[in-house]
Amino acid sequence: MTGPIDLLLDPEALNGCVQCGLCLPHCPTYRVTGEEALSPRGRIKLMREVQDHGAPVTKDVLRSFETCVQCRGCESACPSAVPFGHLIEQTRASLVREGISRSALMRIALKALEFPRLLRLGTAFLSIANRMKLIPKQLGLPARLPVRQPAIPSTGQDVFLFTGCVMDAWQRDVHAAGARVLEAAGFGVTPTNELVPCCGALHAHAGLSDDARRLAEKAIRGLSGDDRPILVDSAGCGASMKDFGRMLDTEEAKAFSERVFDIGEWLANHLDRLPEVAPLDLSVAIQDPCHLRHVQRVHETTRAALSPFVSTLIELDDDGLCCGAGGAFMVLEPAMAGSIRDRKCASIERSGADVIASANPGCSMHLADAGVKMMHPMELIDRAIAAARA
Amino acid sequence: MLRDLRRALSRERVRYGAADRTLFAHDASVFEGGLSGPICFPESTAEVQDIMRIAMQHERSVVPRGAGTGLTGGAIPLGAPIVVAMTKMDTILEVDIANGVAWVEPGVVNLDLTRSLSELGFNFAPDPSSQQVCTIGGNVANNAGGPHCLAYGVTDAHVLAIEVVLSSGDVVTLGSVRGESLGLDLRGAFVGSEGTLGIATKIAVRLSKNPPAVRTLLLSFSSMRDAAQTVSDVVAAGIVPAAMEVMDREITNAVENYVGAGYPRDAAAVLLAEVEGLEGGVEIDSQRIVEVAQSNNAKSIHRAESEAERALLWKGRKTAFGAIAQIKPDYYLHDSVVPRSKLADVLESIYEIGARHDLMVMNVFHAGDGNLHPILLYDGRIAGELERVHAAGAEIVRACLAVGGVLSGEHGIGVEKQPYMEEQFSSDDLDHQERLRRSFDPMCRVNPGKVLPEGHSCADIQALRSIPTGVWG
Ligand SMILES: Cc1cc2nc3c(=O)[nH]c(=O)nc-3n(C[C@H](O)[C@H](O)[C@H](O)COP(=O)(O)OP(=O)(O)OC[C@H]3O[C@@H](n4cnc5c(N)ncnc54)[C@H](O)[C@@H]3O)c2cc1C
Ligand code: SF4
Ligand code: SF4
Repeated sequence: MTGPIDLLLDPEALNGCVQCGLCLPHCPTYRVTGEEALSPRGRIKLMREVQDHGAPVTKDVLRSFETCVQCRGCESACPSAVPFGHLIEQTRASLVREGISRSALMRIALKALEFPRLLRLGTAFLSIANRMKLIPKQLGLPARLPVRQPAIPSTGQDVFLFTGCVMDAWQRDVHAAGARVLEAAGFGVTPTNELVPCCGALHAHAGLSDDARRLAEKAIRGLSGDDRPILVDSAGCGASMKDFGRMLDTEEAKAFSERVFDIGEWLANHLDRLPEVAPLDLSVAIQDPCHLRHVQRVHETTRAALSPFVSTLIELDDDGLCCGAGGAFMVLEPAMAGSIRDRKCASIERSGADVIASANPGCSMHLADAGVKMMHPMELIDRAIAAARA
Repeated sequence: MLRDLRRALSRERVRYGAADRTLFAHDASVFEGGLSGPICFPESTAEVQDIMRIAMQHERSVVPRGAGTGLTGGAIPLGAPIVVAMTKMDTILEVDIANGVAWVEPGVVNLDLTRSLSELGFNFAPDPSSQQVCTIGGNVANNAGGPHCLAYGVTDAHVLAIEVVLSSGDVVTLGSVRGESLGLDLRGAFVGSEGTLGIATKIAVRLSKNPPAVRTLLLSFSSMRDAAQTVSDVVAAGIVPAAMEVMDREITNAVENYVGAGYPRDAAAVLLAEVEGLEGGVEIDSQRIVEVAQSNNAKSIHRAESEAERALLWKGRKTAFGAIAQIKPDYYLHDSVVPRSKLADVLESIYEIGARHDLMVMNVFHAGDGNLHPILLYDGRIAGELERVHAAGAEIVRACLAVGGVLSGEHGIGVEKQPYMEEQFSSDDLDHQERLRRSFDPMCRVNPGKVLPEGHSCADIQALRSIPTGVWG
């Protein structure tokens, strides 16, 4: 419980909601609980109560705000274009400022993301501990973390490949596959490595807006003096970097955001440069990462890029409902993340696909943990090209 | 009471925090009910029975609730009742294709049911624009309609039997899956009773076969009158389209901003018409509709070229109410039915009433069955606007009644249309309705204060207290 606090939400954005409820079925937490408090409409209503009517932030209100996966499925479903993503980020930032959110604790954990070497060292340690079964399962760590992988070499100056923080430590093989595919299309690749330690997406989601801004500025500085496109193979990072322009509201940041592309989006625009090879004999279902589908809204390009390389592409039948990963969400709300994943797994089961393609590391880890065979679209394309060469 | 409820359900499924009680004060309408009592999320018929019995012991009323998309305040709490939220009872229990019947729990989402049947080539015909979120229980309670009910009939025609928990806590099954029920058709009385006769806990719905062929036409006109006349002429020509929906220019633009489906932005009115059936038949019917439209000066004629385009056009139409906030933060939506031949005249008087009250009016409606949805736009933060909206609304309702219209096409009466019931029904009519209600619920404990106007409802017996929202803790 608290006294009245100002969430500092844009009143126009908040007032845009007409309480029609059309977003409810697109919200994973409403879908698995049927509770209004865990729906976008309920969350917006509670934001209004707190901001406009001085209602205290009770345990229930906090639960409503903190259980949001920030998938933004509600946003693309909303005919009134309520910018829910910004509302919830700002709400969390205000709660952090007031010191009434567990996000304050997360700041410490997220600090590690800024130190790649530390992160890799920690990963090696976690990996060994995990294999010795010393890590509790509900922490949602991937079953096999890499102990050590070679760094991505620089092969040219055409494009940047954003390597990031956790992903570089945990899924460097995806970067490697992406780099090979880009090379096959004739693009020389410069990995961003130490130039940009972390994009700050998780910080922004947790409401740590100062950290998020600082990291954004650092990223922009790291890749400045250059107008090469910045290609991203993690949908969450891509969405966050495309948002720098809005967040920092400077010309420099806007120009930076213009340079950011999802790697699938980039390849879909350069399909003619990719080699023509026999497709892999696989039926692949696409699991759209929320930040590709609902935030960047370029999920169709994954299909365009992937379809020449696999024999069958299948659509899941759940309208792109979130898988429950949500960055740090799967660690912070493991039970809810698990129920949401169960729904996704049922849809995957119905699809009968051999492999699920996801362009986001968090989703892949979360689903792989439930025994789903996951691959990044770049790994599939890479494999098809390699098979043709062999 | 809270302790009893929690013992019967579980701690997590009985909520009483200020946050939840505030959230359940609303549905999708402008009406506020004040803070609710405890909110229960039952998972079985037996739990609903327990809730009813506990409510009776403690002399509390109950209000059933589905997804809360109702537009007339039917699910809002009056007098801090126990809210019985049916959203966790969302299992499709049994699908019997041979007999064309499915048993579902009331919390099943309308579109989920149709989706799960699509592999089998069937659907649940009522398709309210809110179908992606509203529940079958809410559809039954409000006898919901939808664009495609023009050809197939509203919910009533698609519900065979209903298991109901009465206020006594007893369970009865109304109707029968074998078609005609013996004795009085109490199932028919329950459909459309807006939660005032009891709580539906299981519903047997009729399954409809998917049509082999569909044609979707998007027609635009330079005047609303031409569009309305086209609708009237199509039906007069003996064509029964599956759906005929009209939108005026303002709402079409709001919708197009959201979906980008290719709706023309400059036409005074657009008509979305759909015909379904055998391939040969739909071709002939769509051609005839085009001819009728041409004779009414259609500005443009377009046929949806793919399933994807058709889906996008419908997505636009079905999200129309939600798109309004692009223009103004609040809206008040009416729902009345007028004879088709009077559509054009009534629409003109509606725009005129809006102008006189200095309010923006938009129209998007199920034209085929004369079901109007005039929308009055306002900003609730501006003092006096809502009063103007209510004044204009009253005039609109009277204008519809004056040409032989009725109070509600599909959204029900709730608390919204209560004051007008006496204009539509005689005192004897209302007394009989109240007697029917009392034979189900003698103490008027289920959803009191709704539908029947004061004086003809026993709502007053329990002094409906209303706790304003904002009183937390
Ligand atoms: C954008 C939008 C478009 C809409 N379009 C249409 C349309 O085209 N056609 C149409 O008819 N309506 C439409 N509506 C209105 C509304 O969606 C329907 O009335 C719907 O049937 C309500 O279902 P619900 O689950 O949301 O019920 P609620 O709003 O939760 O409840 C509605 C009523 O049903 C009662 N009720 C709910 N469940 C039960 C139960 N299990 N047993 C007994 N009573 C119960 C409640 O007490 C209440 O009186 C629309 C609403 C919106 C917001
Ligand atoms: S967020 Fe949008 S879709 Fe959801 S209730 Fe509000 S207006 Fe409707
Ligand atoms: S962002 Fe996702 S989880 Fe959060 S309210 Fe929207 S749909 Fe629900």
